[in-house]
Amino acid sequence: MKTKNSGKDFCMFALPGMFCFLAVVIIPFLYGVYLTFTDWNGVSDTKNFIGLKNFAGVISDKQFWSSLLLTFRYVIVVVILVNVLAFAIAYLLTRGIKGQNFFRAGFFTPNLIGGIVLGYIWQFVFSRVFVNIGETTGFSLFEISWLSEPNRAFAALILVSVWQLSGYMILIYVAGFMGLSEDVMEAASIDGASGFAKLKNIVLPLMMSSITICLFLTLSRAFMVYDLNLSLTSGGPYGTTEMAAMHVYEKAFTSRQFGVGQAEALILFIVVACISGLQVYLTKKQEVEA
Amino acid sequence: MKKKVAAKVIAAALTMALAAGTLTGCTFGFASDPDDPNEVKKEVEIDTSTDTFQYDSSLEGTSITLLNSKAEIQVALEKMSAVFEEKSGVHVEVMPVTDGDSPYTKVVSLYNSGNPPTLSILDTTDVIALAEEKAEDLTQEAWTAEAEGYLTKVDGKVYSFPLCIEGRGLIYNKAVIEEALGETFDPASIRTQEDFTALLDRLAAAGIERPVSMAKEDWSLGAHQLQYIYETYDGTSEGAQEIIEQIKSGRLDLASYDRMNEFLNMFDILKEYNVAKGDPLGADYDEMAIDLADGKTAFWFNGNWAWPNLEEAGAETTDEYGFLPYFMNNDEEDFANRMIQGSPSKQIMLDGQIASEQEKAAAKEFLNWIVYSEIGQQMLVKSCSLIPPFKNNPYEPEDPLSRDIYEHVQSGTAFNASAIVPNDHWSVLGAAMQKYLAGRCSREELMQAIEEYWAQQD
Repeated sequence: MKTKNSGKDFCMFALPGMFCFLAVVIIPFLYGVYLTFTDWNGVSDTKNFIGLKNFAGVISDKQFWSSLLLTFRYVIVVVILVNVLAFAIAYLLTRGIKGQNFFRAGFFTPNLIGGIVLGYIWQFVFSRVFVNIGETTGFSLFEISWLSEPNRAFAALILVSVWQLSGYMILIYVAGFMGLSEDVMEAASIDGASGFAKLKNIVLPLMMSSITICLFLTLSRAFMVYDLNLSLTSGGPYGTTEMAAMHVYEKAFTSRQFGVGQAEALILFIVVACISGLQVYLTKKQEVEA
Repeated sequence: MKKKVAAKVIAAALTMALAAGTLTGCTFGFASDPDDPNEVKKEVEIDTSTDTFQYDSSLEGTSITLLNSKAEIQVALEKMSAVFEEKSGVHVEVMPVTDGDSPYTKVVSLYNSGNPPTLSILDTTDVIALAEEKAEDLTQEAWTAEAEGYLTKVDGKVYSFPLCIEGRGLIYNKAVIEEALGETFDPASIRTQEDFTALLDRLAAAGIERPVSMAKEDWSLGAHQLQYIYETYDGTSEGAQEIIEQIKSGRLDLASYDRMNEFLNMFDILKEYNVAKGDPLGADYDEMAIDLADGKTAFWFNGNWAWPNLEEAGAETTDEYGFLPYFMNNDEEDFANRMIQGSPSKQIMLDGQIASEQEKAAAKEFLNWIVYSEIGQQMLVKSCSLIPPFKNNPYEPEDPLSRDIYEHVQSGTAFNASAIVPNDHWSVLGAAMQKYLAGRCSREELMQAIEEYWAQQD
């Protein structure tokens, strides 16, 4: 019975999905890989095979490597801050404090606003509101717009990303905390485990599946940041906050070097795939059953 | 239990209110709300009584598309197409390029999807990039004779229709200067860099401490300001090309190039008197228009396309605004100190690859209609507020900025030079200029960045 049906079942359930996946992900991806070996400029009818020339272009594109390095710095800071913050807030919001549902909704709100809009709102905050506060109070931190100084613009990017991303992660961590069995915690208390010991030896291992998901989501989102980058700083001041994804777009569409841009996108993809794959593998190993 | 439900409802309501508040919050703080429903927009009168244009009746019922990359004329273009349809029976669908999309990217993606627009409004560099492969040859069109001197040629052929002339320089607000100095201001009396600095000093003494606004945007710095070094070489597009070739090949040392140093001298003057001197990279574009209209500043480096911003900031078409040249030195005879840069900027390209003969003919009729029909001529100037590059168009632009450029063109005090530079010139060198503007690099470093940029081009 089982074997008789499996072909039909596969066709009914998996085929439509497989088809869509092939059509919009796999085929364009392979085509993209093919394009990195051609000199296509985006419009021309002819595509000449030029071998690895585009990759040589990537190696000599200093700006790409510096933006990739910047992206790494950004990812590390964002991933750590978002997860620590979200974990802590989720912990507090499952303690049964007053109005915790309200706080959960409140923290999640920034996630409902698209990155572009969010960027413009914060741009206004950084370059107008903060500057105004600086002018009236003489507070030197806010004297000039944060967006006009490279290090502060980078800090601004991180601040907004953390503000936006943590709400989503809080939600996942809250779900994780709710799933923690009270029995285990109670048993630990009876055995005389202190708060920190409980966190380290019981909560963390049991929360590992949430951590895996959250780390993966923050990693991939932070690596691929584009909308916020575009609307908040648009790479400025003078190109110092241009992240890898934005650089790829600029290379392909503004500099019109499609091949090089595509090759850079491929490299970025490989980097992100390796890192998040490794992360999932490592954290999955830590997961335990209660 | 009940309490919990109530709390949830309140939380949800607050969340939505918060979201709505932040979403609409972005317009908060600007002087005028662009979508004010109480604002009465005055309609420009178009006289449609005379129309001697010969319409080709065989084209009736044809439908063509026009990709518009000049957002400010979208509504006017739609009106134009409606009138044209009424007269000729040809439907012109005007497609806007959405904000954030570059026109070139849009046109390329439309070509790749096999559905390109029949006509597309593009920048000159885009036309040059696409011309030979995609565009229809328009060399034989009659209007080419009317636009003598404003045509862009690729290999001796014309592939595009010059839609308008745009000019740039230092916009002044005459009323503000006169009020501050207590005397009449004659822009023609400012002829050199020294004259200009003296004027700035007098304005500063009269209370307008920093009378200049300067956009920090890379397109303004990298394209509109920096390109003076190519365009003032001898005031022609050919000259600009020649100097670019010299820089590219490394034959010219920028440090010894007069125009480079002169340009930076002028740039330093503007920088010194910049109203946002404390934080030049934090300057806000919308605020600059407001400052100029309100009299906080007297000058703004920009082009005639800035009129809608000024109008939004409260300027009236009866106000006196105009352009001063970008003074390069102290030689009164130097054309750069006497003339305003004004050249064709937006071009319409006709697709020669996918469009049918019928569609091409309809598109050509539309272009001819803009040039030769009384209605098209009026609408180009009055509805779109563009400066026509066509000699036979008798209408004058209404807004003071375009009118000033128009008058300069008519009286021969405009030079028509536009440098053809690679497409990322404005963004790469715009960033270098921003660094210089913020005082974080020296002249030498800036020149080195320019030389390096050109060395990478092939």
